[in-house]
Amino acid sequence: MPATADECRQWVEAMHAALALEDEQAFAAALQGFNALQDSTVMTHVRKVTVDLQTALEQFRSDSRLIDLAERQVPDARARLAHVLKLTDEAAHHTMDLVDQCCPLVDTLSQEAARLQPLLQREPGASESLRAAVDAHLTQSAAHLKTVRTRLADVLLAQGYQDLSGQIIRSVMKLVDELEVALGDLVSIGRLGSDGDLERPVAAPGAQGPVVPGVEHGDTVGGQDDIDAMLSGLGM
Amino acid sequence: MSAQPGMSILVVDDFSTMRRIIKGLLGDLGFSNVTEADDGLTALPLLKAGNFDLLITDWNMPGMQGVELLRQVRADERLKKLPVLMLTAEAKRDQIVEAAQAGVNGYVIKPFTAATLKEKIDKIFGKPSAAA
Repeated sequence: MPATADECRQWVEAMHAALALEDEQAFAAALQGFNALQDSTVMTHVRKVTVDLQTALEQFRSDSRLIDLAERQVPDARARLAHVLKLTDEAAHHTMDLVDQCCPLVDTLSQEAARLQPLLQREPGASESLRAAVDAHLTQSAAHLKTVRTRLADVLLAQGYQDLSGQIIRSVMKLVDELEVALGDLVSIGRLGSDGDLERPVAAPGAQGPVVPGVEHGDTVGGQDDIDAMLSGLGM
Repeated sequence: MSAQPGMSILVVDDFSTMRRIIKGLLGDLGFSNVTEADDGLTALPLLKAGNFDLLITDWNMPGMQGVELLRQVRADERLKKLPVLMLTAEAKRDQIVEAAQAGVNGYVIKPFTAATLKEKIDKIFGKPSAAA
């Protein structure tokens, strides 16, 4: 129990009376009594903090949610992210396989249209209307095939999303790694240091990965034109 | 030298999708002699052993990052004049200055276009570019 005002007053008055009587022994005894009151107050607080800490640790140990997070859900989150990375990698490669299969077909058709058109002009047996129709078809085919070829190159380039999203996913996986270690440490403290010897991953300095909207990246450029202007300013 | 169709190009990126994209675009530009590496650590021995005419490298890679590879290239007596094009998502101004100071010859930001890649290769090899 903390000291009450009455108890304090009692000892202060005793010191005052001892001073008035110039009784050193009585003053020392009163001072000791007063100090003992303070010590008991401190001890009461220490006991309360100890009990609170003990209760918190007990609750921490029984908090299965945190342990579940540290031991199962965080590693699961990392495995899920790794799986997303794998799926996007496979999807991008599959798309590029299909593009690779289409490009030679388009090239062959383009070359064939270009080869047939002059032959058609020299073909004496064909009727004029058929010749005009086939000629128009070959002209249109050549133009459309050229567009398809360009679009296929665009499809190839669009697969770059896998690299950009992959870099972002990897940076989140690194954070998950660090979170797992931190949670592991916390759980170990709760278990009074039974298994807390996990190593912290070391973050690679320098590279930041792609700019993510809503995430602070510092002073970044606005695009290729901005970079070109910067490098030009640097004498390149 | 000017950009020759048969010139030897090393493409360094940790994502196989991006290596394949760059290789495909280079193929469309007429460059078919392309070798791949997945980071600076695997690229450097290839560069030292081979006879490459151009290095195209990402920045953010495990092992050795692109800017460190660039420094190693510039520090190597035989490789120091090798043209290096950085092709990366790294967009901080400090990083672009860092790459320029390390001796990069061109810097292309991802996502990029085939025209930008062509323009920068043309510029490195002193050919006037239609896109410029």
